[in-house]
Amino acid sequence: MKMYIKGVGMTKFGVHAKTSQELAYEAIMEALDDAQMGISEVDEIVVSKGDSIHDGERQRLYPGVLSSILRDEGIPIIRVTAACSGGGSAFWNAVHSGKRNVLVLGIEKLTSSLTKFTTDEFMMAAERIYEQTEGLNFPAQNALVAQQYMMRHNATEDDLALVALKNHENAFDNPKARFYRKNVTIDMIKNSPVVASPLRLFDCSISVDGAAAAIISRDKTDIEIAGSSLYTSRLSAFESEDMTTWEAASLAAKDAYEEASLTPEDIDFAELHDAFTPIELMSYEDLGFAKKGRGKELIREGITNINGKLPVNVSGGLKAKGHPVSATGVSQVYEIVRQMRRQAGKRQIDKTRIGLTHNVGGAGSTATVHIFKNLGG
Amino acid sequence: MIVRWVCEKDKKKWIYPVERCIYCKGLIKKQISTKAKIVGITKVNISSPLHPIVPYNVILLEDEFGNRMPKKTMKDYRIGDQYSLEKAKTDSAVAMTKIKYDLGDALRHTLGLLRFKFEDFDNVLIKPSIIEPAYPYQAVDTNPQILDELIMLLKEKGISDILVAEQSMPGNDTVAAAKKSGILDVCLKHKIGVADLGKSEYVEKEHEGMRLEIAKEVFERKVINLPIMKTNSQVGISGAMENMIRVTSPKTQKELFDKDIEKTLPLFVKALPGFLTIGDAVSGMQGDGPTSMGEPAFLNILYASRDPVALDAVFAETCMFPLPKCLEEAKNLGVGKADIGEIEIVGDELDTAKFRLKSADREATPHSRIRLLDGKADPASFNGALKMCSSLIGIGGYELYLAIGRHFTQEQLHGKSRIVAYGSDAISVLKNRGIGVIVEIPENAYDAEKIMMLKSVIENKDKTSLK
Repeated sequence: MKMYIKGVGMTKFGVHAKTSQELAYEAIMEALDDAQMGISEVDEIVVSKGDSIHDGERQRLYPGVLSSILRDEGIPIIRVTAACSGGGSAFWNAVHSGKRNVLVLGIEKLTSSLTKFTTDEFMMAAERIYEQTEGLNFPAQNALVAQQYMMRHNATEDDLALVALKNHENAFDNPKARFYRKNVTIDMIKNSPVVASPLRLFDCSISVDGAAAAIISRDKTDIEIAGSSLYTSRLSAFESEDMTTWEAASLAAKDAYEEASLTPEDIDFAELHDAFTPIELMSYEDLGFAKKGRGKELIREGITNINGKLPVNVSGGLKAKGHPVSATGVSQVYEIVRQMRRQAGKRQIDKTRIGLTHNVGGAGSTATVHIFKNLGG
Repeated sequence: MIVRWVCEKDKKKWIYPVERCIYCKGLIKKQISTKAKIVGITKVNISSPLHPIVPYNVILLEDEFGNRMPKKTMKDYRIGDQYSLEKAKTDSAVAMTKIKYDLGDALRHTLGLLRFKFEDFDNVLIKPSIIEPAYPYQAVDTNPQILDELIMLLKEKGISDILVAEQSMPGNDTVAAAKKSGILDVCLKHKIGVADLGKSEYVEKEHEGMRLEIAKEVFERKVINLPIMKTNSQVGISGAMENMIRVTSPKTQKELFDKDIEKTLPLFVKALPGFLTIGDAVSGMQGDGPTSMGEPAFLNILYASRDPVALDAVFAETCMFPLPKCLEEAKNLGVGKADIGEIEIVGDELDTAKFRLKSADREATPHSRIRLLDGKADPASFNGALKMCSSLIGIGGYELYLAIGRHFTQEQLHGKSRIVAYGSDAISVLKNRGIGVIVEIPENAYDAEKIMMLKSVIENKDKTSLK
């Protein structure tokens, strides 16, 4: 059954005084307006939101919260959590729900918690005994992966800096990005403090508050969801035979391409999961944009720049748009839709026939890949 | 040591203990590494509650089977270095191990790091902590799984004459505690007797001006002390030293507390024959221990040492607590080592396991309006006081201080006006010092009477005396 995008909505990603309910309401309202429909026409809602004991909200039964703010008891609401891939996983569930109109919402409130607690809570997506007790927070986990990748494939810290620079330059023109209108230079990136060697501060995405919503439908619109795949791999990266390939992502990509009857060469632009800069390089390979070990060449040659052959993360990505965990996957869809509808303002790219989103939870554990076709010309 | 659970037929590996392969349903074999090299390393500069000390390194180990495992370390390594753990060089060394799911392996590994021979153990007394009826998840009593693993290990080493012995806190039922904690089931499974040390025959021993009554089993058997590692509102921590108090008669326990437990505990431990301690921090307790007022700490660590002072000091340091006074006393008496810098620690590095636990509030009771003025009261008074307060949970009212024991400092009493004295010790000491109390509650009063007297005070703000 073909599914299409009707409308999308998204709050600005950043530090908000608003509650998660207010952020959710804002994103949903924009998506409904965009789809030109009312909430009563929605047949199901799939929401993704993480659990936090430190954000002050202490709100776990989020479907009930949504029901309270939407005031329509007739809509079934389910919650999907998958750490950083929560939004993508919610979207995948919505695509496969079989209902006519499904609202997908990703929402996260992170900045009301102290950094040390956020670090700790993110670490709960790592394996408790082997990883958490050994200090493997997410920067550390990705640093070990990055190191394996760099050693094996001769990638350098300069390559990582180029990824950061590209995504910051893109975010400069995205009014909804955390780093909107913020100048970030290559020197700032290269001289930023080391968080977990070899990763520097500017190799890491930024935690923000935010919500993103999308309404998908069986009714044909200008944007078709041509491929939708989700795979789950082992929780710990160290368990994989090859830590520099995230199997769940490459399997999800393979399935999504097959479903869409497309190949990586057909993709015009993509929103990738650059939670850490080396992961963008690895993802070029997992998604088939480059051969194994040659992802670095795409960034060195400017292929993934906004004016390159395959623009990646024109929104600014998780790196510079911001990473409100469960909202990220849905915000990637927001960017695809805005680009396809030529509503992306200064960051508008030319070729928007086929777009791809890639959302990962943990160190490669859950990955979703979605491919979108622009039927609007 | 990297462990994997492997199905040779299906070429599948698990990082978790599984007994049968979910594909072929066949039995699983354990793959245990003998050596590992470092294939990755990152220096981490951001702290979190579980990892407050930065920078630290996480190294990625790979064994001869290609299995990998991350390991936190404060040491600097290089990629390509071999990774190995050194064994203890001294008898007072403390071994510590972060448990990787398999408690049996962790126990073997921990003891294997010590200078210790099973041949020296012909008949054994295992002394767990079973202080009150509580489920294992409450982390009040020794985890039954560690007892089970220890008994299996001893039997494997040819030691069959094993006795498990303990007595609960006065006022609690030892059998009920053994049952609820799961300890009794383990003993029944292994057909091992459980002795109530509160009903033991005691050997009398004169020591440092004290007349100690110590269970005869302590002298007839090799003792393996198996405490759960906890916070303790009276002495800071419950561990290797505090757990041994309950090998004495109730009368001796009272004497130890009456003469100031922080001073007498080290003296008492010095009077005991040498023993091995295995510190159970499978969970461990934090907060207002040692009773069920505390909460699980989820430490996931095993400690072992022949030096109870050193073991306790290492635990206190793991929790980032100041050194408890009784350990300082023990060090001064030469009972064991308490200065962290002087203790040989083998296995996991201490600094990699440190994080700040909630310490015990010396004045805490189960009732938020009743604060304890604990004059180092004996276990019977302490437990009785907590139980009495517990009965009043839900009754609102006005703050009062419940004084127990006999060693009150000026600082403790300063500015306190609503004091209730519980037990003959507190009653007489406060009377002798001219401290006015609202009511005196004798320990031998009926429970209902005690509770009613306390209730009457807590509910009446202006009450200055109770007739």
